[in-house]
Amino acid sequence: MALKKRVALELGQGTSLRSGDYTRAAERAVKDALWHNSLNMAQAFGAPKDAMIVDVEIAVQEPDAVDCDAVAQIFPYGTISVSARHGGLDIPKPGGSGSTLVALAAVVVSFMVEEASA
Amino acid sequence: MTQAADQNLQRLILEVGMGNDLYGEDYTKAALRAVQDALHHSSLILFRSLELDSSLMQVRVTIGVERPQSVDCAAVAASLPRGQAVVTAVKGGMNVVDTENQTVSVVATAAIEAFYPMDLVPWSVVKAEP
Repeated sequence: MALKKRVALELGQGTSLRSGDYTRAAERAVKDALWHNSLNMAQAFGAPKDAMIVDVEIAVQEPDAVDCDAVAQIFPYGTISVSARHGGLDIPKPGGSGSTLVALAAVVVSFMVEEASA
Repeated sequence: MTQAADQNLQRLILEVGMGNDLYGEDYTKAALRAVQDALHHSSLILFRSLELDSSLMQVRVTIGVERPQSVDCAAVAASLPRGQAVVTAVKGGMNVVDTENQTVSVVATAAIEAFYPMDLVPWSVVKAEP
């Protein structure tokens, strides 16, 4: 029986310093998570890259303002799902003109696997 | 290294990181920070999920700094939490010189490669369900 098993976690942080754009901060967090590493696991397992299942969790102070479909567009292959929840950090700018936004991203990569016959 | 070389040794991941020693000109400290930065942007969860033996993991660390001979590679190897590590330092990185204040900031880059003998993994990947 095939089981979904997690193989890697990638973490990243991104900001929107001036424009107050939660989606942009989230996209930067995902890119920070992805571009610190090069995953070779599909190749190591002899599987196609499309076998990768990618579950992305974004944490920001206003999760409803994140365009999850836009974030999903960053990934070149795999089965992608993106969700946003409360977290991250907003820091008010001096002078009261909005906030600087910090987004966190957790990218969980999984495969469907089955036990090799002994 | 071990007999693992002929057990379909494959690279699982390459992690990259940056670290510095702003004022101390300590190349080992910069290298250790680069290694920590590289390590802590990801986690190889498959060792838990698939119950693999992390002592079979081979870890190859390459440090880039302007004075590679000043990096204590044994200290860098000792900072790695798991696997059999081999650390080498090569000329690279970046020293940022402030001639106005007579300071040198040492910037190190670290590349960490993890390899595993895939013939010893009792799992195979099947097609993802839509």
